[in-house]
This record gives sequence, structure tokens and C-alpha cells, in this order.
Amino acid sequence: MTTIPQTTHASRTAGIPSILKTAVINALVALVLFSLMVGIRTEAGSDGQLTYWTRFGELASLVAVVFGGSIVIELLRQWIGPSGAERLVPPAVHTGMAFVGRFLAPALLIFALLVPVIFYNQRYILDLAILVLTYVMLGWGLNVVVGLAGLLDLGYVAFYAVGAYSYALLATNFGWSFWVCLPLAGILAAFWGMLLGFPVLRLRGDYLAIVTLAFGEIIRLVIINWQELTGGPNGVSGIPRPTLLGIPLDNSDDGLAAKLGIEYSPTHRIVFLFYLILAMALLTNWVTIRLRRLPIGRAWEALREDEVACRALGINTTSTKLTAFATGAMFGGFAGAFFATRQGFISPESFTFQESALVLAIVVLGGMGSQLGVALAALTMIGGFELFRGLETYRMLVFGMAMVLIMIWRPRGLIGHRAPTVFLTKAKAISSDLVKEGHG
Amino acid sequence: MTSPLLTIRGLRAAYGKIEALKGVDIEINPGEIVALIGANGAGKSTLMMTIFGKPRARAGQILYEGRDITDVPTHEIAHLRIAQSPEGRRIFPRMSVAENLQMGADATECTEAERDATLDRVFTLFPRLKERYAQRGGTLSGGEQQMLAIGRALMSRPRLLLLDEPSLGLAPLIARQIFDAIRVLNRQDGLTVLIVEQNANHALKLAHRGYVMVNGLITLAGTGAELLQRSEIRAAYLEGGRHG
Repeated sequence: MTTIPQTTHASRTAGIPSILKTAVINALVALVLFSLMVGIRTEAGSDGQLTYWTRFGELASLVAVVFGGSIVIELLRQWIGPSGAERLVPPAVHTGMAFVGRFLAPALLIFALLVPVIFYNQRYILDLAILVLTYVMLGWGLNVVVGLAGLLDLGYVAFYAVGAYSYALLATNFGWSFWVCLPLAGILAAFWGMLLGFPVLRLRGDYLAIVTLAFGEIIRLVIINWQELTGGPNGVSGIPRPTLLGIPLDNSDDGLAAKLGIEYSPTHRIVFLFYLILAMALLTNWVTIRLRRLPIGRAWEALREDEVACRALGINTTSTKLTAFATGAMFGGFAGAFFATRQGFISPESFTFQESALVLAIVVLGGMGSQLGVALAALTMIGGFELFRGLETYRMLVFGMAMVLIMIWRPRGLIGHRAPTVFLTKAKAISSDLVKEGHG
Repeated sequence: MTSPLLTIRGLRAAYGKIEALKGVDIEINPGEIVALIGANGAGKSTLMMTIFGKPRARAGQILYEGRDITDVPTHEIAHLRIAQSPEGRRIFPRMSVAENLQMGADATECTEAERDATLDRVFTLFPRLKERYAQRGGTLSGGEQQMLAIGRALMSRPRLLLLDEPSLGLAPLIARQIFDAIRVLNRQDGLTVLIVEQNANHALKLAHRGYVMVNGLITLAGTGAELLQRSEIRAAYLEGGRHG
């Protein structure tokens, strides 16, 4: 009895020199970095000469913070690291979480459906909800490429941009309605997805990431520089709002409010946009879930696991990769068209690498391949980001810290569990059919 | 009498400048188990991979049922009902056992009834897989993973099965189970098997015929029993192995 606590105690104290060593190294790195960044302050003097002065006090406090922080992080890692986290959580909580997990998705869906009812008068929350749902949809779209097929795509924003510009240009130049342009935006984005797919077929991992990153930048630069078509940095404005089967949601005599004989309110359009993006996101989810149960979806997942084995099993990896890129891109294009109609104005500034990174972060944080996880991650990332608005300058810091902690405790993402799609019960039922046929 | 199922003539293959196969000739008749033995780096696995077109043959011919398949794309070779349990098993670790098996059937055209009959067959051969069908592939033991790799290959209902080192890293008892299953498949289902093995003793006892490969060339051929008697084989692959 007495020896056991002693050994655990020993194993914990044995780490102290190494913890101190790590902290000292981190502090040294901080010292080198900050000595120039913070320790010396330079400014142009009155005659244009360089004046500088030292700030050793600030430097010392920063290094001290890094030293202390390293110790805290190392201690956290030792006591509540990935393996420790499992032990810390009592089994009752585990079963409770499994229970919650089963009803979480339906509960979230019902809540999402009721959001416009509950928050009807709170424009800010409705706008935020639309934003969250846009990212849920983007996350689900990218999930096909990154989560299922395992192709690291850092240029996803390119397809978002293609979708947005497709709708914006078709609507402003030809006056086509949103509902005609929506599938076109998806098809065009899918086409660009295939186009990106071809050159990167042989690439994997880091190399693929670099090429897709470049692709995202190329699309953005083309949009900026092709002024005649896209308006360049000025963007496209006056993009028509979506209509409900041709009925506009505005204050005019033909508007929905007038036809229904109710008083017009700008909130109608917001609520409509909310349900529109909700429907589009749910469609994305439904298609993905269906595809996962089909051979093509299974081939995507197998491709993520082992490309060589896939080929030996007779899977055409070329077409499998291309369909993954095209499917993911198509959903990105849909989301882009929605973005354009919601904003009424788009410019290249909306399609920077930061967007790609954000969507990728949502997919990774949610647990690659998990639909519910991606939705939760989008809610956390976009909603959480707004939540920390009160912290102003520090919000990035808090946010970054939260992400680091989540990745320490849940390295596979919020929902790392992957639900299988093939079940044996089906096989059993059909093997009895075989008996009936008698010639199988 | 019967024409061979697989004929390989003067096959050469290389990785960059390093030639791994320097003109290999082998024949596999329908219903046979053929063992390919040889030391590390002799080119056994390369031969297997070259049949699947990765790497492509530089010279020579691969004939399957009289058809030249030397230049057929890798993914189409599986449709010709040649299946492979690759070196290192290469199962899909995050997918369940059932999904792994289904992957084997996905690329081949077969009815649901045919698929389920094959699945039943696989489960009869490897009952362990049935017990663990919902488990993730990566959580299986080495022996179970090997069973899964073979089972997955069988799901495409092959006529020719290529097995690359099925006993690698397995406990002797498990390795014996695997070899027994291969024997059953051959005797009862008439499956033709090409097996690459380091474990020459086991492989040659199992096989009807065997080939010995040294430095990318076939140096010896004969029935399994004949090869087991040859003193040079005993010295190189049997006794030598026993003494470490």
C-alpha cells in the first residue's frame, strides 16, 4: 500500500529537472527573440537620426512570464495530458457524455431551427447565426476533401471565391436569379476543383498543401487583377438579394410582406437567409452522409488511410481524388454564392488565406471526418470569437490559448470518434436470401 | 495440358537505376500454390508489385490467362480477379473490419448475394474477423491484421491470390493458422496462390512448386519437396535461419 504512492511521487518529482530544463531553454529563446523586439526601442529622432533606448524591465518580465508559463504547461502536460485526461474523468461522466452525444445532434438541429423564433428581435444574433452556419457549410464541404479523402487543402477559399464571383457576375451582368445561379456556381467551383485536382494527383501531405495554398492565392490574384471582369479590388456591388420563388423580400408592392398582407420588416430577409443557409448546410451534410455509405465515400476514406492498398484493391485513385476535390469544391461554391447574395457586395478581401486557414482549423478542431464535430467546431470558433469580443486586443491571445488547450486534451479533435458505415447485420440478412436462391 | 494461369517471361523492373528484377521467368498453373523464396532484397516483393504494375516492367511480359497485362493500369488488374495481400498488410487502420472487407469487394462487379457468400467464406476461414467486425482495423493484433489483409483480398473473389510475406512478424502458432487457411483455400476453393516467404520451410511444405530468387534472378525451380531436399536451400534458408 505504501510503496505505490511513493513510486508515483517519485515519478512525478523525477520530472522536475527536465521541466526546469525545458523552461530555461524556452526562457533563453524568449530572451533572444525579445531582446531585439522589446529590449531595444528605436525611433527616428528630431533630425532624422536613429535614437534608441533600452527597456530591460519589460524584457525581464516577458522572459519571466515565458519561464513560468513553460513550467505551468509542462506540469499540465504531465498531470492532465492526453493519457491523464482519460483517467481524470470519472466513468459516470463518460456514460453521461455518451448519453449527451447521442442526443446532441438532434438537439442542435432543433435549436438551429428555432433560432429565428427565439432571437427574432436580436439582429446581431441572427447575423452571427448565419455566419456560423456559413462556416458550418464550408467546414462540411472541406471535410470531404480533408477529413474523408485526407487531401490537405489549404486553398479552399478559392472555391468559395469562385462560387461568390460566379453568382455575383452572372446576376449583375445577365440578371439571372439566385436559384439559377446557385447550381451554376456549384458546377463552376467543382470544375475548378477538378482543375486543381489534375496537377496535384501525385502529391501528398506537405507538397499538396503548398500547391493548394498557391492555388488559393492564384485565384485571389486573378480576381484582383482581372479588372474588366471582376472589378479588381473594388469588387462587385449591387448583387441582387435572393427571392422566395421569384417573390422579392423587400418593401415593394410585389414583396412578400405586401403579398401576405403583413407589415414589412427587414428581419424577414434575415430570417429567410438564415433558413436558406441552414437548408444548404443540411443538404451538404445529408449528401456527405449518403456518400460515405457508397463505394465512392468508402474509397475516399480508404485513400486517406493507404493509397497503395487502394490501388491494389482496384480503386482508381485518380478519379477518386478528383471526385473528392470536385465535391468539396462544389459545396464551397454553393456557400460562396450564398455569401455573395447575403452581403450584396464582394471584393477580393473576403477571400484571403485567413479564410482557408479558419475553415481548415474548423475541420481539424472538429475531428477530421466527423460531421457533428465540424458543426461544433464552427460554433466554437466563430461564436467563441464573437464571445471574446469584450476582451478586445487580448481576444486573439485567449482564442489561441483555447485552441492549444483543446489540441492538448483532444488531439484528435472535439469528436475524434468515427462511426463505421458497414454493418454485419445486413450481410446476415442476405445470406439467408442466398439459401432461398439455392444457386448462389 | 492446361495452359498456365500466369506466365512471366524475361521480366525486368527497376527503381531508378537500381535493377531489382533482371529477367525473371515463372509460371503458375491453375490450382497451384507456388512459393517464391529468397533472401532480403532478392526482388521477391518487387516481382509481386510488378505484376500489379507498380513499378512498371522495363522489359518482358506478364501473361494472365493468355492476355498480356504488362501495361494494364494497376487499378484495373484487380478487376481481372488477381488479388494481393501486400507486404506489411496495409489494412485501413481507422476503418472497421467490416469496412476493410467491403473495400475488397467494392471495386469488383459482384452481386450482393455473391458478396455475402464470400463474406461468409472469409468468416468461416477466419472466425476471429467475425468476432471483431466492428472494431477498427488498427486495433487488431498483427495476426488478425494479416487475416484481414487476406480476407480483404479474398473479397474480390480472385482466381489468383498474391501473398507477400503473410507470416512476417507473427507468432509461430498464428503463422501456422494462416498457412492452414491458405491450404484450405487452395484445396477447397481451387484458389491459385503465389506466396512470397522468408519462412522457406513453411512455404515450401505448403507449396506444390517453388522458385528461389537471388539478386533479381530465379536460380532454382522445382517442387516444394524437391527444393526442401536441396542442400544449398537447406544451408541458405533453413539451417542458416535456425542458427540466426
